[in-house]
Amino acid sequence: MITLGEFALWVALPVAAWGMVLGFAGGRSQRGDLVLSAERSIYAVFFLLVLAAAGVMNAFLTDQFQYWYVASYSNRELELFYKITGLWAGQRGSLLFWALLLGFFSSIAVFGNRKKHREFMPYVAAVLQAVLLFFIVVLLFANVNPFEQLAFTPANGQGLNPQLQNYWMTIHPPTLYLGFTAFTIPFAFAVAALLNGRLDARWIQLTRRWILTSWLFLSVGIIFGMRWAYLELGWGGYWFWDPVENASLLPWLTATAFLHSIQIQETRGMLKVWNMSLVLMTFLLTIFATFLTRSGLIESVHSFAEELTIAFIFLGFMGSVLAGCIVLILYRLPKLRSENRIESFLSRESAFLFNNLMLIGAAFAVFWGTIFPLVAEAVTGEKISVGPPFFEKVNFPIGLVLLALAGIGPVIAWRRASKRNLQKNFFLPTAIGLVVAIGLWIANARHPLALITWSICAFVTAVIAIEFWKGTRARARIEGEGHVLALFHLVSRNRRRWGGYVVHIGMVMLYFGFAGSAYNVDERAHLSPGEMIQVASPFGHVYDLTYEGISVSVGRGQRNLMWQAIATVSVVREGKSLGILTTEKRQYVTADNLMTEVGVRSTVQEDLYLILSAMDDVNGALSADSDAQGIDLQVLIKPFVRWIWYGGLMLTGGTIIALWPSVDKKRLALEEATDEQEAEPALAGAGD
Amino acid sequence: MTLLIGALLVSAAVVLFILQPIVKGLHASLDRDEDELTDTEARKRVALLALRDVEYDYLAGKLDEEDYRALKSELTAEALAALEADEAVRDGSDATAEEDLEAEIAQIRAGLNSGDACAACGFANEPGSRFCSSCGTSVGAGVAG
Repeated sequence: MITLGEFALWVALPVAAWGMVLGFAGGRSQRGDLVLSAERSIYAVFFLLVLAAAGVMNAFLTDQFQYWYVASYSNRELELFYKITGLWAGQRGSLLFWALLLGFFSSIAVFGNRKKHREFMPYVAAVLQAVLLFFIVVLLFANVNPFEQLAFTPANGQGLNPQLQNYWMTIHPPTLYLGFTAFTIPFAFAVAALLNGRLDARWIQLTRRWILTSWLFLSVGIIFGMRWAYLELGWGGYWFWDPVENASLLPWLTATAFLHSIQIQETRGMLKVWNMSLVLMTFLLTIFATFLTRSGLIESVHSFAEELTIAFIFLGFMGSVLAGCIVLILYRLPKLRSENRIESFLSRESAFLFNNLMLIGAAFAVFWGTIFPLVAEAVTGEKISVGPPFFEKVNFPIGLVLLALAGIGPVIAWRRASKRNLQKNFFLPTAIGLVVAIGLWIANARHPLALITWSICAFVTAVIAIEFWKGTRARARIEGEGHVLALFHLVSRNRRRWGGYVVHIGMVMLYFGFAGSAYNVDERAHLSPGEMIQVASPFGHVYDLTYEGISVSVGRGQRNLMWQAIATVSVVREGKSLGILTTEKRQYVTADNLMTEVGVRSTVQEDLYLILSAMDDVNGALSADSDAQGIDLQVLIKPFVRWIWYGGLMLTGGTIIALWPSVDKKRLALEEATDEQEAEPALAGAGD
Repeated sequence: MTLLIGALLVSAAVVLFILQPIVKGLHASLDRDEDELTDTEARKRVALLALRDVEYDYLAGKLDEEDYRALKSELTAEALAALEADEAVRDGSDATAEEDLEAEIAQIRAGLNSGDACAACGFANEPGSRFCSSCGTSVGAGVAG
């Protein structure tokens, strides 16, 4: 029997198709009634997708295991929280959830522009409906219908993979999806600009907020994923260059490139074709990310080959979007000519351009490294893996150049930098970077990659700190304000610039934390209760870790837990007790393998990370046999990991500063004009 | 039965909602709003913002005097060209342009022009300058002020 949720999905199909056709037709014929109908169809599709999602959620909450999707990702014992998040726990729900978010953003975009930017809106509505239509087609025709029913109703479901039962894992995918789907809006405006021929920087200005929002969600989503991997996967790392991670990194790289290159188009009228290509590339990569992670392609090329429908639909969609956009760009090429050219290699423009080349280079390397094993397996039938060494070899140098550019870009002059400009602005930061390098060398921290990274971090931080200082000082002098007030006004007058600097500081903190991994300590020991292991931190102090014993709690299947064995370790640092840390093995009803829970003691300086690698005698320990308590303990010391999470917060703060609505544009323009008048006498005075 | 009624209601509501504009002849606007920037206005704005940036860079001590003068005169020329282009479009098409905008443009133009070219060397000086920054000759506007 069909339910209301599934019925809604079937109704959404013709409605989306209708909106797409009418949007294009209304735009071409300039008929307002067709356009209004197309815009209303977006709200309608969103409403229908809400009904469909509510249907899935209801099935989870009421344990309706006749649905394949519910039976595969839930069971009666699952916590309520994870039943609610079941909507995006698996492939089928995720695709619906994706469409739902896209419908939500599309509705906001259409509603927000119901009175403005009207010459774009017919095509924007059409493009949004085309993308929505694609996802609805996938849901209904690619064997991924979340409402598919089994021939019988199982007594209970299979439950949720325990590794996914983690707070970070429940917010990580939705955050990424928010980023992916939000990027569809700038893409729709870009296509609309190609269609209506308004190819100045306007479509970029209109969608700047969307671009930043999307970028923020992508960044935060990736960092959430790292946090999950760090706490839950139990091997002490946060990034392993696996295809799922890479899939989320790819659109982030191109979106970051886009975020920088649009500034050149806005200020200098250059790179128009390039920006169109970047927005297209980023959009395709968001679709590619879903394709890669949600089509079963990664698990195995062979099992995937049996499910060709979804691949054909995805590849067909991506192919037609690519072809369509290339045709449109070629058609509009005369209007996309650059209004200026780069005047000098030493200029902010070329720094931006270089940043773009690096980001695209990194994206290409990651893309190739991700799909090469799949291509190779499809062709030769043998599994080849491209591991971290490849990605690291390519991306570390690129990453360092990008980091350095974050320091060079802000102070190098537009158009062409003179030698004096370079000397004036780079002497002090470079000196600070060198001092840090020498200091590290003297302190015997000589790992080359870490030394270079931290020195560049110091350089960039110095550049940005000096920027803030000079700006505040100039404003305080001219306006006669106190320094705090001057700083506040400085930032609020040009949120974009200063917000961007704060984001760069966040990136510096991320790099700072990443480079800490050069000094990771990894010790393993077999311990019986009462035995101690000493582990030396790279900072010189020593931890005395005493294994106190194991305690077992046997569950009765609540929360799907059969038993958990908790190893207690007391931590003493240089004679001072720091309390205890625990690390666990867990057996879930719903998984064959034992799961590991790690114990982490985190400080600004370093993380002490304990992993219960193995228990000598699981059955003995479970029956409280005191002779069967030996364990293999792995102790990791990971310097500066916390800085990565702090960097994520800083990056969020900076993006929010840049996103924060400013005063009315027009008033601002007027104020700026008058301000300049006022500033000039002051300037003359300062020069005397 | 409930399902059937629900399904019918949902479909009917959706169909009515999206067909109503066509049947009843409700129209969405397709024209640019009055307060939206036109192409030339956008260009003008960008030119002025670039000027602001250079100003900032100089005041903050990131550009030295010579670089600042060179950049500023280049940007000023561009800004003036953008202002004129904007005005030309406005005169040609839209006679009812907002008055405060006109005033704004006049003001900016005055600012950009006053105390401008040095009589001796042609260098574009700051408004209110008494002496030319390039060659040191006294500049008319400044003397008068």
